[in-house]
Amino acid sequence: MTPDSPRPNPHGGAGPSGGAGPSGGAGPASGWADRFADELLRLGVQPPRARRLAEETTQQAAECATAPDALFGPAHLYARHLITELNTAALNPTALNPTAFNPTALNPAVPKAGAGPSGGAIDPGDVRLRLTGVGKRYRRRTIFAGVNLTVRAGEVAAIVGANGCGKSTLLRICASLTRPSSGTVQRTRRVGFVPQDGGTAGWLTADEHFTLFGAAAGVAPRRARSTGEHLAGRLAWRPSRDQLTQHLSGGTRQKLNLVLGELHSPDLLLLDEPYQGFDQGTYLSFWQQILAWRDAGKAVVVVTHLLHDLQHVNQVHDLGATA
Amino acid sequence: MTALVVAALSAREVGRRRVALALMVTLPLWFYLLRRSAEGQSVRMLALGMAWAVSALTLFVVNAARGVDPRLRLTGASTLAVIGGRLLALTAGGIALAAAYWALVVADQRPERPWAAALMMALTAVVAAPLGSLIAALLPRELEGALALLSICAVQMLADPPTLVAHLMPFWSLRELGTYVIDGADAGYLWRALLHAALTWLICAGGTYALFAWRLRLPRYPEP
Amino acid sequence: MVTPPRPWLHGFLDLCLLAMLRERPDYGYGLAQRLAAAGVADVPGGTLYPALLRLEQQGWVEPSWHPSESGPRRKYYAVTESGQATLNAQAAEWHRFRDGIDQLVAAGAPR
Repeated sequence: MTPDSPRPNPHGGAGPSGGAGPSGGAGPASGWADRFADELLRLGVQPPRARRLAEETTQQAAECATAPDALFGPAHLYARHLITELNTAALNPTALNPTAFNPTALNPAVPKAGAGPSGGAIDPGDVRLRLTGVGKRYRRRTIFAGVNLTVRAGEVAAIVGANGCGKSTLLRICASLTRPSSGTVQRTRRVGFVPQDGGTAGWLTADEHFTLFGAAAGVAPRRARSTGEHLAGRLAWRPSRDQLTQHLSGGTRQKLNLVLGELHSPDLLLLDEPYQGFDQGTYLSFWQQILAWRDAGKAVVVVTHLLHDLQHVNQVHDLGATA
Repeated sequence: MTALVVAALSAREVGRRRVALALMVTLPLWFYLLRRSAEGQSVRMLALGMAWAVSALTLFVVNAARGVDPRLRLTGASTLAVIGGRLLALTAGGIALAAAYWALVVADQRPERPWAAALMMALTAVVAAPLGSLIAALLPRELEGALALLSICAVQMLADPPTLVAHLMPFWSLRELGTYVIDGADAGYLWRALLHAALTWLICAGGTYALFAWRLRLPRYPEP
Repeated sequence: MVTPPRPWLHGFLDLCLLAMLRERPDYGYGLAQRLAAAGVADVPGGTLYPALLRLEQQGWVEPSWHPSESGPRRKYYAVTESGQATLNAQAAEWHRFRDGIDQLVAAGAPR
């Protein structure tokens, strides 16, 4: 990996020590392989495959006559990178897919050339969201604590972690819908929030939702409707005039949710696994949409459990790792 | 502006729930028909039926918007616009219903003071809507809310008129007004009824607003 | 040492790997050296090996293990039939792309 590569970096708690400790291996190389295999398992790789990948990776290092950490970097980071890379293939099953030849689609770090050794051509964007030591307790139970996260304009951050580790709660804290028990939040004022489900009125049509949310943002009904229809078009969706939201398919309802989240052109978008029910094509155009937001200088935070999403993002916050 | 859009769309939402709407519209009619032989009782029962129908509908509408409201707030709407808009829509719908039943009462019973009957019907709608929203604010789940409303209306119906309990019920004013409308009682009944209704409205609407202002509060995060 | 801007390579690494493997089967380190020798890029292991695994996973290359004279056995990759087809398609795409860029660069160049 070159220094400017978009390798997902765990932000905050999970430093290089985030993997398992030295697990009694014979030497440094086998310690690395163990940590690598452990992380693969944690990422949901089946044990035999994890073992095979660890073996192969060790052999690759040997073939270059280099220690694995010198060649690949920290074990847990390389494990995530490898899974992301392999899932890219699953996502773009054919190389004839135009994105394969579109460098920016594959490399989210392109607009931020300043991070590379070539020198800072573009300044990083303004901070849109900053969490400092944020924690949440429900009664005696600590859901998470000490979360630090900074998201700038033109960045996509992913929040990952196991079920029940508080991903949605953290996102609601970012939105200010839930109060943190500790820590401070700084956030830009204009924010769009897309919940995992719900958040729409079953007895209204899509157009009426545009009117309603437009009114909330102080936009005239006609303009809100045309904006909404335009945004829907970008998700390959043409809202029908008289179909009630409760009769929409799950995926289409999520498209409505996405459109409502960005109707008032917020500077920061908070998305909670917004792709439930999306088919493959929609899923891809959804990510294209996220990249378009990013390129337009918006900050995006997306809660996800799908690892192949991570190829697109600038930073990954593993909530499980800090809890 | 926002409140009016919320009101218009709430009205449209309710208008689409045909069966619920039909049940709500006809519920007071059954109350009325069952007591039709007793003139004074029938009008009071009609008003009570309307009160129950309008407050129950408000309860359901406000509860149904639970997922949307926080997002509207985040998008920039004020709590007053969101909650006020819904109350406005349901109060207006209730008054339309009141007008229809007033016409029925006037045609069927020829009360002594038809204008007072109109006032009674309208007041029912005006007080019932915020009562429904207050219960929705207190009891976020529909079943609990509906049961609470059922209890209130049962106590209202069964409480002995002179007791304190009866005076504390939200629709005590309807009983007083009913006496004024049908039995030709003195104006004291009218003023007491108006005062009670105004107080009830203030408590219910104010309580609704306070609870939702708290529930839909958005802490102001400083800009980074 | 050649270090082109990484994003350029990222899009074309598959193409380069498939092309080199069509010439002759090779193993990871050998491919890295050939890429560097050709002046294309000094590809770090963390980029190269995942790419090879990806090609393998897609059925475009086929691995086989061979012992080496010195040290551990090596995993050699050879292009499969579907890999061949992909390579042809990608090469055509590359030519179109290169011609387009050439044209744009030449059009703006001072004479």
